[in-house]
Amino acid sequence: MDIDNNQTAEHRTEAIIPEAGLLGKVIGASSHLFSMGILASAAILIIEVFLRYVFNAPTLWGHETVVFLTASSFIFGGLLVAARDAHIRVVLIYDFISGPSKKWLNVMISALCALATFFFTLSTWVAVQRALFNPQGEFRIETSGTAFDAPYPGILRGFLFFILLVLTAQFVVLTINYIRSRGHD
Amino acid sequence: MEFLNDIMLWIAALLPDFKSWGIELSTVAMFATLLILLLTGMPLAFVTLLVALIFALGWFGPNAVPLITSRIFTFVNSFVFVSVPMFVLMAGILDRSGIARDLFDAMRLFGGKLRGGVAIQTLFVAVILAAMSGIIGGEVVLLGMMALPQMLRLGYDRKLAIGVCCAGGALGTMIPPSIVLIIYGLTANVSIGDLFTASFVPGFMLASFYVAYVLIRSYSNPALAPVADYSDVDRAEVVRLLKGLFLPLLVVSFVLGSIYGGIASVTEASAVGVLGVTLSTVIRREFSWSMLFAASRQTLSTVGMIVWIGLGATALVGVFSLMGGIRFVEELITGISDNRVIVLLFMMFILFILGMFLDWVGIALLTLPIFVPIIITLGYDPIWFGVLFCMNMQVSFLSPPFGPAAFYLKSVAPADISLGEIFAGLLPFIGLQILAVAMLILFPWIAIH
Repeated sequence: MDIDNNQTAEHRTEAIIPEAGLLGKVIGASSHLFSMGILASAAILIIEVFLRYVFNAPTLWGHETVVFLTASSFIFGGLLVAARDAHIRVVLIYDFISGPSKKWLNVMISALCALATFFFTLSTWVAVQRALFNPQGEFRIETSGTAFDAPYPGILRGFLFFILLVLTAQFVVLTINYIRSRGHD
Repeated sequence: MEFLNDIMLWIAALLPDFKSWGIELSTVAMFATLLILLLTGMPLAFVTLLVALIFALGWFGPNAVPLITSRIFTFVNSFVFVSVPMFVLMAGILDRSGIARDLFDAMRLFGGKLRGGVAIQTLFVAVILAAMSGIIGGEVVLLGMMALPQMLRLGYDRKLAIGVCCAGGALGTMIPPSIVLIIYGLTANVSIGDLFTASFVPGFMLASFYVAYVLIRSYSNPALAPVADYSDVDRAEVVRLLKGLFLPLLVVSFVLGSIYGGIASVTEASAVGVLGVTLSTVIRREFSWSMLFAASRQTLSTVGMIVWIGLGATALVGVFSLMGGIRFVEELITGISDNRVIVLLFMMFILFILGMFLDWVGIALLTLPIFVPIIITLGYDPIWFGVLFCMNMQVSFLSPPFGPAAFYLKSVAPADISLGEIFAGLLPFIGLQILAVAMLILFPWIAIH
């Protein structure tokens, strides 16, 4: 219910829920890569601070790379939290429901989430097309247009599209597994 | 890939033509859909995404949808936002080290001989932790594990002890650096450095309210807070204890000093904070790579939650704004009264009610795009309003039925302390927070910047 994670809540939110299936396990395993991304961002920022304030020679690539790394981990983070069933929700009524009703409530919630992310996947497609292809339909990735001119914006748009696809798949898996569960929770 | 566009056209055809309903009815329909979906227990992030897409398709048709996604990229791609994972990572490392425990031991030099001394000591620790970290979960848990058992053992009034731990822990987002202020700055498009400066005095004001309350209660009724026996503290012990203060204060002065001194940006300062806390764990021989990885995985989840609520809220506010809804709600709110104070109080009231049920991230991203323009139109200072908003969110951390601080404390408190008793203990502190909100409204110059 709250975003501020902590030690004791950790074992609850750190675990992939069984209903997330094999896909959930793959997502859980990939989380190591993206948590490295956060550490790498911290390291780059610290190096950048030294280069800027001690040597007065900031890099061209520092800021853009940090924004790219953290933006990727932000996007991936949402998928990871979905596989952990730890997204923030209002549990005013939810917590009072048990038995078969809870099972079907979980089915409905996962299905609606799948619908939302599916809608959203479709709507990012247009942006992805523009970021990855030129009007003639040839591959041409969008770049940042700065002195460093990295292809980060193009990659990031593609990555969001990909993560949304996986997220939709994850919610479909959750829906199916909730339907198959006995609902004694 | 033409079929994707066809699917969207097909979905749009299924939805009602909201435009013909008019903005009044559509706004009501939007709020009703939001509320019903939220109450089912569907995650906030996906409720807002779904409602945003339904109304984008129903009001404008498929062509408007890409406009929303472009807003979302702007949201994710901000350099200042990088400071959020950095401050969360810093708190994650801090929580895993013994820094807070040594800090607590050292602080007994300050509270020792006073009545209610351990409660005062706890509040001092809370303030220093708050100045190192910008989130609240870890702080409440740390205070609940270190300070609460000690106060209970000494025979402190249980409600007083509980209140001090929760209210003290919640200070994490009031005293800079604060994630609430960072998100406010991003949404309202104002300087986060200014926000940090402006919240400095109000943050300490709130903390001093707590200290004053503890002193008044314990001296007027000595049974509430017996004096602890700290007679064993000799000179060598004092020196040893003071060492526990050195590293935390160094980190605080590095982070806040570089922001206030205008030397480094907030994002750079947040990275310096990560370095500071990590080096502290190395000096204390507590550093391990597994500790660092655990902290960064926790960061990944925490920012995942924040950012996806942000994505959904950005999409929803974007659609609502294109529909002309923001103008409509603005007129509605400003139409309540010609007196701007009443309009302001009405907004505070809405925030207070939302705070009972919703998380602060959701509240910030859904209401601020509407409230901040109104505040500016009314002639108020948006920086001051940011501090006021942050103070209001302090109430939301404690207020039942969903005060997150209470749940954090419950997770580490002895089993015989019920959630009901925790909330009862929090009531006087909620009163003090509301007093602080009132002081900020009556004397805006407190938030000096």
